[in-house]
Amino acid sequence: MIALAVACALFSLGLYAVLSRRDIIGVLVGVEIMLGAGSVLLASLGAASGASSGSVQAIGVMVLLLAAAEAAVGLSLLLSLYRTSGRSRVDELSEVSG
Amino acid sequence: MTAQSAGLALAIALMLAGAIGAVLLKEVMRVMIALGAFLFGVAAMYAYLGYSFLAIAQVFVYVGGVLVLMVFAVMTARRADGERPAIVSRHDVGSAAVAAGVGAMLFLSLRTAFGDTSVPVSRSASDLASELLGPRLVAFEAAGVFLLAALVAVAVILKGGEER
Amino acid sequence: MGALLVSIGLPLAITVVIVAGGARSVRVTRVFALAGPLAALAAGASLIASAHGGAAAPSWNGAWLAQGGAAAPVGFAGDALAALMLVIVGAVAACVVAFSWGYMAHEDGQPRYYAVLMLFVSAMSVLVLADNLVTLFIGWELVGACSYLLIGFWYRKPAATRAAIKAFMTTRVGDVAMLVGMAVLWRHAGTLSVREIVAALPRMEPGVITAAALLLFGGAAGKSAQFPLHIWLPDAMEGPTPVSALIHAATMVASGVFLVARTWPVFEASALARTVMLAIGVVTALYAAVVALAQTDIKKMLAYSTISQLGFMFAALGAGAWGAAMFHLTTHAAFKALLFLAAGSVIHGAGTQDMREMGGLAKAMPVTAACWTAGALALSGWWPLSGFFSKDAIVAAVGHVSSVASAALILTSALTALYVWRATALAFLGSRRSDQHAHESGIAMAAPLAVLAVLAVGLGWFGRPFFELLSAEEAHPAAATIALAVVAVAAGTAAAFAWWARGREAPESGVCGSAWDRVRAGFGVDAALQAVTVRPVLALARWLDDVADERIIDRLAEGSGKLAVAAGGALAKLQSGEADVYASFVAVGFVVLAAIVLWAGGR
Repeated sequence: MIALAVACALFSLGLYAVLSRRDIIGVLVGVEIMLGAGSVLLASLGAASGASSGSVQAIGVMVLLLAAAEAAVGLSLLLSLYRTSGRSRVDELSEVSG
Repeated sequence: MTAQSAGLALAIALMLAGAIGAVLLKEVMRVMIALGAFLFGVAAMYAYLGYSFLAIAQVFVYVGGVLVLMVFAVMTARRADGERPAIVSRHDVGSAAVAAGVGAMLFLSLRTAFGDTSVPVSRSASDLASELLGPRLVAFEAAGVFLLAALVAVAVILKGGEER
Repeated sequence: MGALLVSIGLPLAITVVIVAGGARSVRVTRVFALAGPLAALAAGASLIASAHGGAAAPSWNGAWLAQGGAAAPVGFAGDALAALMLVIVGAVAACVVAFSWGYMAHEDGQPRYYAVLMLFVSAMSVLVLADNLVTLFIGWELVGACSYLLIGFWYRKPAATRAAIKAFMTTRVGDVAMLVGMAVLWRHAGTLSVREIVAALPRMEPGVITAAALLLFGGAAGKSAQFPLHIWLPDAMEGPTPVSALIHAATMVASGVFLVARTWPVFEASALARTVMLAIGVVTALYAAVVALAQTDIKKMLAYSTISQLGFMFAALGAGAWGAAMFHLTTHAAFKALLFLAAGSVIHGAGTQDMREMGGLAKAMPVTAACWTAGALALSGWWPLSGFFSKDAIVAAVGHVSSVASAALILTSALTALYVWRATALAFLGSRRSDQHAHESGIAMAAPLAVLAVLAVGLGWFGRPFFELLSAEEAHPAAATIALAVVAVAAGTAAAFAWWARGREAPESGVCGSAWDRVRAGFGVDAALQAVTVRPVLALARWLDDVADERIIDRLAEGSGKLAVAAGGALAKLQSGEADVYASFVAVGFVVLAAIVLWAGGR
């Protein structure tokens, strides 16, 4: 139960960062925290349910890979944006509204 | 307090403190340090739960890879400014309320899944390799392809930025 | 197991290779395209060999979409019937691919052509190897989709796209019946595995079995272009001719016959379903043969001929002789593919599809003419070519059940000889009626013709091992039947040449006039179906547009429009394009949904 509470708190913190940060870098940090919260939840739930250590770690590794790829793409977006506009703020990315 | 529960407390404290710092601090380098603390905390949590491989992978991939990458990216992006690297945010109540609501809903909906167990420790032997190369081989390979796709995406995005 | 994998997987892999290779390397990748059908052919041959040796059919089973206690089964089994179909598909497809190298050499979009062709071979392998109706249906729909893509290959031509849509929609009508039939079987037999359905038949009520059989037949009739769902097949001739040979003559349209043969015990248990099948088969055979008489387009003539021959097969099924039906399917695949490819060679060489503009092609295209003649002999049922044996087996089997039906079929054979020999004479004899220079096709097109010609000539002699392989009862025609059939064919042939000789200077005069126009249009069945199905739907749509839309909905809309403008103005502010605002919406949505689920689940 402690683990669940901690994981949910971490997830909230990460989401708060994603919602409130104006910089891409801040948003990325938030996403990393949310992924970490998910992994912690998965790991502790796996341990609690007596799942085999291998399967829990396998899924954990998958999340790890996902997070690494996400960080790479996000950071390249950051660099690309910075090069074109000299800024890196999410609220300037409103071009998606068309 | 046994050594074990002390480890748990340390891991949780590291995670929470790191996350709070990463979310609330303004200066980029401090945010990075806080994030590092959080990631170490997650690794400690894995170690506490008995997932030693995952803990080591967490340290290697995140602290050694992602975090360093982030720092580099920040330094490259900010160098020309000459201003103090800082992260702007608008600390509004709405975001906090939404985030808290999501956290609460998660807690409420997953509560039954955990039952009354406090933090347990996995004692089963590690069979990660047989798991990854056995039933999860397809997923594992797909993850590899996914990483490759991400690499390509990075190249494309950066190239597009150069051309513009 | 290996055979199953190869026949399905290799063509699929080649599809990917061709698509990846693109237009630049199609000269290389189209050579690979031969490997797909040959793999299916080899797999079929090895399965036949193992079935002949008494070995158990290799099979593979798995569950798919397992939910709760139910799962959709996925399974393949290479029994003798499947192996036979694989051999047919592989042999014809290999000839068609080789033929296409010459025929399609100057077309754009060749990668698309060969890729879809390979996908078709793979889908057809799925269809024939399926050991349950779900897997069969997957292949069934996939071949339908490939057919759609290939009929509409020249998608810039409006007639081709219209024909593709018509083919797809018309077969859908049958497929809906088939799906309902599958649902009936699922409900009452509790399984869709063919073997388990057969085992469950004694427990089922006769009415249910009849309903299921009729519904399955509906699907087969749609796919195999049986009256009145035949209307799509003549239009499907808008596709490239090799496609017509493979899909719309030899394999896909015959899969309806295969479906009935595969689920034969269901039909065996229902006399009513068999009677319906016999009636529809005979009507289709006779009707399509008459319509074929009036055709001036060589491909449409062959299309109606295909419908007619498929009618023969369904008549055999209706008479209980599924072995004879499969035998005719096999020989028909050879000689009709041959005729289509020869027609393709003619179209390629003479530059027209209209038989009235041909004439005298035998001199310019001797190889094509010889192969066509072999195909025509086989189709009209001259001894000792393949069509003679398989058609007589059908006539004999039908004769045991109904003498009226078998008389109608003998009349149809006479008509068959009439239309095919008249077409032969029009195209190959006499003198040129257009000034375009005709030329013989290259080796890539002549070689497949020769292979198919050998098969069309010789296949008839393998009746005994064929029936032994399928462990089906061989029908032995009585001497009187044979004599009658021979007389009918000879009379038809003689009439054809007499007809041609009379009108040789003005060949169009043979089939002109309003009566012939009606026949050419298939007695207006197509138009009537359009009138009773398509037009009411369009009229309903128009009525809805007039009344419901303009008077009711528009007025509602105007009133609500004002409200919407006001609300939209408010909501537009939310569409700021800012990612974090959107993310907040997602999060709020999650909270609301989770609250609903928790509240509902907590009670």
